[in-house]
Amino acid sequence: MSHPSMIKTFADEVKTIPGGEHLEKCYACGTCVSKCMIQQKVDPDYNPRRLLRLVMEGMNEEAFSSPTTWMCSECDLCYEACPQEIHISQVIAAVKQLAVDAGYTSPLTPVSVDEDLCSGCGICAMVCPYEAPSLYEKEVDGKLDRFSTVDANRCMGCGTCVAACPLGAIGREGVSNAEITVQLQYPKTEPPDLVTFICDWSLRVDEDLDILESYPDDQVKVVHIPCTGRIDPQHALMALKSGVKGVLVCGCKPGECHFKRGTYVANCKMSLLGTMFGQVDLPQKQIRFIQIGTQDRGRIRNEIDAMLDTISVVEEAIS
Amino acid sequence: MTAKPKLAFYWAASCGGCEISVTELGMDLVAVSEKADIVFWPAAMDFKYDDVRAMQDQEIDICFFNGAIRNSENEEIAHLLRKKSKVMVAFGSCAHLGGIPGLANMYDIESLCQRVFDTSPSLDDSRGTRPQTITQMPEGEIRIPELYDHVKHLSDIADVDYFMPGCPPVVDQIAKVFEAALSGNLPAKGSVIGADVKSVCDVCPREKGEPGFRITEFKRPHEVQLDPNKCFLTQGVICAGPVTRAGCGIPCLNGNMPCRGCYGPAEGVVDQGAKLASYIGALIDTDDPEKINEILDSIVDPAGTFYRFGLAHSIMTKLKYN
Repeated sequence: MSHPSMIKTFADEVKTIPGGEHLEKCYACGTCVSKCMIQQKVDPDYNPRRLLRLVMEGMNEEAFSSPTTWMCSECDLCYEACPQEIHISQVIAAVKQLAVDAGYTSPLTPVSVDEDLCSGCGICAMVCPYEAPSLYEKEVDGKLDRFSTVDANRCMGCGTCVAACPLGAIGREGVSNAEITVQLQYPKTEPPDLVTFICDWSLRVDEDLDILESYPDDQVKVVHIPCTGRIDPQHALMALKSGVKGVLVCGCKPGECHFKRGTYVANCKMSLLGTMFGQVDLPQKQIRFIQIGTQDRGRIRNEIDAMLDTISVVEEAIS
Repeated sequence: MTAKPKLAFYWAASCGGCEISVTELGMDLVAVSEKADIVFWPAAMDFKYDDVRAMQDQEIDICFFNGAIRNSENEEIAHLLRKKSKVMVAFGSCAHLGGIPGLANMYDIESLCQRVFDTSPSLDDSRGTRPQTITQMPEGEIRIPELYDHVKHLSDIADVDYFMPGCPPVVDQIAKVFEAALSGNLPAKGSVIGADVKSVCDVCPREKGEPGFRITEFKRPHEVQLDPNKCFLTQGVICAGPVTRAGCGIPCLNGNMPCRGCYGPAEGVVDQGAKLASYIGALIDTDDPEKINEILDSIVDPAGTFYRFGLAHSIMTKLKYN
């Protein structure tokens, strides 16, 4: 590692940051691009390989303003595939750190905290996969009070904090409690048979998304969430209370979570809810959590059909 | 001279702790009884149901009703007191949320009776006794109240004006509520009174967890030497503080015990137990997926812990008994 005074190039600078040191092992094969979900689902121009080239070519401004720098969620699908075993997300994180130091800011919309609601419990800070929230103290009415605050450059918008926040004090457009709750109430129509909470990353191809849309709304209501880390067991209960007969939560296969830990977190929450259903003697089959992998194309149809079958059996047993 | 306001106290399915908390007012209770007439208080004074039945409708100014609705007597008297009272306060966790008796909603009546009448360790032998609403005796027919199939909270069966949480409500808050009630300063109908808005964490002075802290094993309070200065969650102990309304003055935390949730859901919480599962689940260490189930298994009795005071009030109970 170079002594800071010896730093000559942008690449050297990246390499001084832990994680950035593997930069020059890249021989630009592009396997990372082929594995990247952002490239496939969001932005065809998204390109970790190109970012690494920008760094090596000393094009720091281009690297700092590249979406690749900011959108990488460290899912590490590319890391597993890289023949050179480059921990690419760490290299990107090193570039991001330099970008933040140089005054660049994330183009993503972060969650924000409503201090009127925040109790300063610190749960958001503990559960975030990116350690974006933290607590700070300020004086309110002459005494010190704690509140959460979010580092906008770290927040990836997965919503894990939103679901964990006990008081609904943290959120952003697209993942707020109000936006999900409204989809679980059916004042004017009959409730659907099944509500499916779907992590938008768990279905990797358009054909799978088409399957979701093939069910009529009065049979299967699909609620899109950015990650199953966003799932709140309260929402599953609210859906059932409104007359829905089953709740299916669909996340990514272990090891493929786009937001590092969301699918595991969802597993924990849904397991706890399932255990409590058992204790209270409610039909556990009414709630189901599944984890769909890259290789599981078409599985969502089987899962939904199986769930529809299950809840009709449960219905018969109850009535 | 205007007549003194009339107060009533009643206990339905409860342990009597709420009554004791009222008597903890001590000399202040004497002051209350100077400003108001206590017209019904079975636990402390000699009144009968017929005394209440003889009253005019809305003759009682404020009724403080504690206890859950477990049987037909609880419900009958709740309706009677509702009719005879201008203002009805659900007083304490049981009236507010179903409280500890509400945990019975995990079981059916037959298994509860088996435990109480057949397998309880304090019984020598079982005679297979079961409570009967009507029993014929040589002297005539004996009737006892009917045990309901599940525990309800007061607002399930009656129109409640105010909810005063706590198991029991702490004496400072009781004093404040009596003061507000006797001076006509109660808030809008439907409000939670004698408590704060935010959660217990807002007033808990303990050091919170660092960003990225995760729980690798859950322990119960008696299984660990607890650091009195650190958040219970960071010590692997389940604490209901984050979802529970503040206002109790944190006696449990000061006694180095985690919040158990008796003050009920804070503003913004829909279902106290499900929300507890939401943050407890998210706090579990997921770095080693192989260990997740082990960590989950270290949570003893999730429903009883997460819904300790609120099961009868929960969506779970609504789903089960519809």
